[in-house]
Amino acid sequence: MKTLKRISRMHRIFIVQELKRMMEYKGDFIVGIIGFLFAQANNMLFLWLIFRQIPNLAGWSIKEILFIYGFSLIPKGIDHLFFDNLWAVGHFLVQKGDFDKYLTRPVNTLFHVMVEKLQIDALGELLVGIAMVCITLPSLTVEWSVQKILLAVLVIPFATLIYTGIKTITAAIAFWTKKSGNITYMFYMVNEFSKYPVKIYNSFVRNIITYIIPFAFTAYYPAEYILKGENPLFNIGVCVLISIVMMTLGIIVWNKGIRAYESAGS
Amino acid sequence: MTKKLRIYRAFLSAGMQEVSTYRVNWIFYMAGNVMACFVSYFIWKAVFLSGNNNSLNGFTMSQMIVYIFLMFLTSTMTSSGGTYDIGEEIRDGTIAMRMIKPISYNATFLFQELGNKIMTICLLIIPMVIGVEAVRYNFTGEVQFEITNFLIYVVSCVFAYLINFFFNISFGFIAFVIKYLWGANMMKNCIVGFLSGTVIPLSFLPSGLEKICLLLPFASLNYTPVMIYLGIYKGSTLLYYLGLQLFWVLVLWGLSKLIWKISTKHLTVQGG
Amino acid sequence: MIKVENLRKEFKKTVKEPGLAGSFKSLFHPKSERVVAVNDISFHVPKGEILGFIGPNGAGKSTVIKMLTGILTPTSGTCTINGKNPTENRKSYVKEIGVVFGQRTQLWWDLPLRETYGVLKEMYEVPDDSYKERMSFLNEVLELEAFITSPVRTLSLGQRMRADIAASLLHSPKVLFLDEPTIGLDVVVKDNIRKAIAQINEREQTTVILTTHDLADIELLADRIVMIDKGSNVFDGTISELKSRYGRIRELHLETNTKNAEKALGYREHFHFSDDDLKVEQEGSSVKVRFNSDTVSVSDMLAYTLKMVNVKDISVKDADIEEIIRRLYRQGV
Repeated sequence: MKTLKRISRMHRIFIVQELKRMMEYKGDFIVGIIGFLFAQANNMLFLWLIFRQIPNLAGWSIKEILFIYGFSLIPKGIDHLFFDNLWAVGHFLVQKGDFDKYLTRPVNTLFHVMVEKLQIDALGELLVGIAMVCITLPSLTVEWSVQKILLAVLVIPFATLIYTGIKTITAAIAFWTKKSGNITYMFYMVNEFSKYPVKIYNSFVRNIITYIIPFAFTAYYPAEYILKGENPLFNIGVCVLISIVMMTLGIIVWNKGIRAYESAGS
Repeated sequence: MTKKLRIYRAFLSAGMQEVSTYRVNWIFYMAGNVMACFVSYFIWKAVFLSGNNNSLNGFTMSQMIVYIFLMFLTSTMTSSGGTYDIGEEIRDGTIAMRMIKPISYNATFLFQELGNKIMTICLLIIPMVIGVEAVRYNFTGEVQFEITNFLIYVVSCVFAYLINFFFNISFGFIAFVIKYLWGANMMKNCIVGFLSGTVIPLSFLPSGLEKICLLLPFASLNYTPVMIYLGIYKGSTLLYYLGLQLFWVLVLWGLSKLIWKISTKHLTVQGG
Repeated sequence: MIKVENLRKEFKKTVKEPGLAGSFKSLFHPKSERVVAVNDISFHVPKGEILGFIGPNGAGKSTVIKMLTGILTPTSGTCTINGKNPTENRKSYVKEIGVVFGQRTQLWWDLPLRETYGVLKEMYEVPDDSYKERMSFLNEVLELEAFITSPVRTLSLGQRMRADIAASLLHSPKVLFLDEPTIGLDVVVKDNIRKAIAQINEREQTTVILTTHDLADIELLADRIVMIDKGSNVFDGTISELKSRYGRIRELHLETNTKNAEKALGYREHFHFSDDDLKVEQEGSSVKVRFNSDTVSVSDMLAYTLKMVNVKDISVKDADIEEIIRRLYRQGV
C-alpha cells in the first residue's frame, strides 16, 4: 500500500514536470498533435474511398468499421500518451548508454522509464478515437445494459495494458541486442490488423493476433461485444486475462534484460 | 576527379555498412512494413469479395494485390531521409560547417543513401518480384513478367528517387520555421503518402482530384513506376509520364539549389 | 566501507570484417567473441577516504565503476557497501551512493535546475526539513544560487558540473562516485570543483571514488590510488608509495647560454641511459632534464652537468606524479 502511494506520487510529479516542459515548447506540441491528426485523416480518407465502392465490408457497415477503428485508438492513445518513453529504450537509451541513469536511482527502472515522458502528440490519436466512437454510436443500433457499459469502460485500461506489455517486452530486447526500436515497430504494424473485423483475415493471421500477439483484444473483440453483445466471456474476459499475462511477461523479460545490460563505452 | 570519386565511394560503402551493422533492426523494420502490406491485402480482398464488380476503378483483384506489394517495393526503393538529416543540422547549427567543407554535401549524402539502397535493393527486389509474379501467375495462369516493363520501371524508380531526394532536402529547411521536425515530417509523410498513391490508387479519387494529383510531383514518386510495371502506362502515355518525371527531377533539383542559396545568405546574415 | 572482491566482467563483441564484401558477409554470418573487460579486481576503501581510481584508456575503469554503481551486473565477484550488494537489492544499494558522470548529465535538460532537485528529493524520499538544510549546505559549497532558476540547457559546463555534483549529494550518500568530474573545464573552475569535493569529504566524511585523466585531481585530492590496466590491479597504495616504488624520476632545471645543450651535455653517451630513463627539453636558455635517479645519482648528474656547460642557475626536484604515470601507462607493468 505504501509503495502504491509512493508510485502514484512519483507519477504525478513526473507528469507535472512534463507539463512544465510543455509550456516551454508549446509550438512543438501543437505540431505533433496535428501530425497525428493528419495520420488519422489519411486512414479515414482510405476508408471513405473504399466505402464509395461497396455497401459493406464482410458484413460490417462503414459506421461499424469506423466505431471499431475509433475504439482501437483509445487504448492505443492512452498507452502512447503515458508510456511512450519505452520506445526510446529500444531506439537509443540502451545503445548510447543513457540507460545508466535509471540504474543509479532508487526507483524501479521500468516504472521510471515508462512515466518519465508524457507524449502529448498522442492526444491527436486519442481525440480522434473518442470523437469517432461518439459520432458513430448514436446511429448504431446497440442494446445497452448496465453490465455492458461497465464492461466497456473496464476493458479500456486492460486493452491499454496489452500495448504496454508488448512494448515492454520488445523494448527489453534492446538489453541484449542494443537496438530494438524496429522490433517494437514491427509489432506495432501487427497492431494494424486489429483495427478491422478479424473475419476478413485467414485463420493463420487470426490465430496470431488472437493468441500470439494478442492485439485483436485491444479493439476488435471488445468492440464486437459492445456492438453485438456476443460472447462477453471471451471478448472481455480473455482480454483482461491476456493483458495481465502480457504485462507479467514484460516485467519478467525486463528484469532479465537489466542483468544483461552492457552500457556503452569502455 | 578520381580523388572525388574515391571520397564518394567511401560514403557509398559507409551506407552499406550501416545496413549490415544494424541488420537485425533492418530486418524487423522491413518485416513490419511487409506486415502493413498484408493488412492492406486482406482489406482489399474483403473489398473485392464484398462488391459485385470484378474490377474497381480499373483494378482487378490480382492487379490490386500486385499493386500493394509493388507499392511497398517502390516506396522502399525511392524513399529518402534527407528531411531529418538536414533538419537536425539546422537545429543544432552544424549546417554552418557544411559551407566550409570542400565537397558537396548533397552529393555525399546522396552516395551514403545509395549505399544503403544498394543493400536494400539486393535483398528485396528479387524476392518481391518473384512474389508479385507468383501472385499474377496464380490469378491468370500465365507468366506476365515483361522484361522491358521491368527495365523501364527501374529507370522510372531512379527518377522517382531523385525527385524524392531533392524534395526531402528542400523540405528539411522547414526546420528554420518548425522546430519539431518529427511532427512536421509526419505531416509531410501523410500528405506525400496520400498524393503518391501509397494509401490508395489515385484512380479511386474523384476524377477531378485524380487529374490534379497525376500532375503533381508526388504521383511521379511511386504511382508512375508501379503503373509502368503493371503495364497500364503504355506507348505515348508511358513517354508522357517519364517526361513528366524528368521535368520534376529538374524542377526540384533547381528548387533545392535555390533554397540552399537563400539559407546560406540567411545564415551569413545571422552569423551562423 | 566498500569491499570489492575478485570482480570480473566479460562482454560479447561482434567482429566486423572490413570492406564491402565484409558488410555483406556479416549481414548473414555475424561473428562474435568474448572479451574480458575486467579480469580480477579487488580493493577496500575505508570510510572518509578519497580514492583515486586510475588507468589508461581501455583499462576497464568505467566498467568497474559501472559495476560499483549498480549499472552493470558482474560476471563474477562482488562489491558491497556497508554490506549491501547491488545485484541483490539495487534500490537500497543506490540510496547509499551518489554518482556523477562528467560526460553525461542526470539533470532534466529542459527544466530549471530547481525542478530537478525537487524530483530527486521525492525519488530519494528526502524529508522536507532535511532537504532545506541540505540545499543550503550544497548552495554554500557549490554556489548554486546564481543559476538555480535557469533551465539546465542554458548552464555553462562548469555550472552544470556543480549542479550535477549537488544532485548526487542531495540524499546524503555515504559514497560519492565521480567519473571525470573536471573534464573540459578551465583551470579556475577545476580548482573550485576540487575545493568543493575536498570540503564535502571533510565535513561529511563522505567516501569518494574518483576517476580522472587529470592527474592534478588525484594529486590534490586522493589519499590513495588504485591503478588498473588491462582489467587487473597494478597498484594500490598512497601517492608517496607510488613515487618511491616506480622510478625515482627527478627533474633538473638549468639556465644556460649553450645553444644545443642536449648535444653539448651528451648524457646518453656518458651515462648509458635507456630511452625511457632520460628526456631533455630546451626552450631558449632554459633546459629541463628528466632522468631516472636509480640509474645515475643526483650528485653525479649535477657534477657532470656543471662540468660540461656554463650554468647560470640550476635546481633539482621530484618529478610530478604525472610523469610517473605516463611512464607506467607507456610501458605497461
